[in-house]
Amino acid sequence: MGILEKQFEENVLTTRVDWLINWARLSSIWPMTFGLACCAIEMMAVGAAHHDIDRFGAGAFRATPRQADLMIVAGTVNFKMAERIRRLYDQMPGPKYVIAMGACATGGGPYYKYGYTVVKGVDRVVPVDVYIAGCPPRPEALLEGLMLLQEKIRRSSVVRRPARLA
Amino acid sequence: MDFQAIHDRLRVLRAPGLLGSDEPRPADPKDKHSKGRAGDPFLLVDAQKLVDFLVVCRDDARLSFEILADLSATDPSKDAADLWINVNLLSVRHKHRLAIKCTLAKQQARMPSSVRAYRAAQWAERECGEMFGIEFTGHPDPRNILLPDDWIGAPLRKDYEFPKEYHGISCV
Repeated sequence: MGILEKQFEENVLTTRVDWLINWARLSSIWPMTFGLACCAIEMMAVGAAHHDIDRFGAGAFRATPRQADLMIVAGTVNFKMAERIRRLYDQMPGPKYVIAMGACATGGGPYYKYGYTVVKGVDRVVPVDVYIAGCPPRPEALLEGLMLLQEKIRRSSVVRRPARLA
Repeated sequence: MDFQAIHDRLRVLRAPGLLGSDEPRPADPKDKHSKGRAGDPFLLVDAQKLVDFLVVCRDDARLSFEILADLSATDPSKDAADLWINVNLLSVRHKHRLAIKCTLAKQQARMPSSVRAYRAAQWAERECGEMFGIEFTGHPDPRNILLPDDWIGAPLRKDYEFPKEYHGISCV
């Protein structure tokens, strides 16, 4: 421990600020209660007992964007909804994260060619951290996406810009 | 009542706008290009008199179509001059149905609203109006029902051109 050794009373732990803040952030990613289409059904399954998103501290679905850290865009985004999504995103306090769940939110999905009202990917409206493939993705895929996001947060720093996930 | 009986009854009542009927038929074996027609028999009705026709269907005791099951439109092809208006009526009391078809010129897609006959036509006509660019005169609430209020064009028309961007969001 070097210079810090025997400087404090017993039962005091020392750590790095980055590690502590990242640990706090990634262990309680509260998502927003927010679903757009069939992917939301899978998201609800992730919230239920069998898959149990609460294991990751992300089970507290908040009914308001002002208490949420994570926006899971679960479903087809159309232009009428896109402006509301942007407003909800702007209302979230930072640090905030977005998961694009499923083919529609990632890139328009099956509506890419003939969906005249479908936004070809929610990343045209809000910045996306993690994309999850599938139509709809299995609950396990959403959990993997959540773990990827946790990994991304773990690599971030209060000083440096967040490192890109390889 | 079956279709023929309903047709006869409406002719006896001199229902306004009744033009004729069309029944499914098999393909003509002698004509190579004939495809015949599948589906239900329907009545052809003048679109401008449709609402008066519906009032007769609703009020006659032998017909008593209480329910407007559907009111929709079809754009058969890019080259067609007319839109089709498809109406489905249902009588719970007599357990019979009726399909009605009207044609409406694309150039002047305007017809009287059927809300006077069936209040259920409100939402159906709002959807029809925005999707096919039909104006229903006398509709009590002619806003868009699905599309945003400032949407340009009628998406279910076959000659519809997809937008390039909407409120700064790229559509391509």
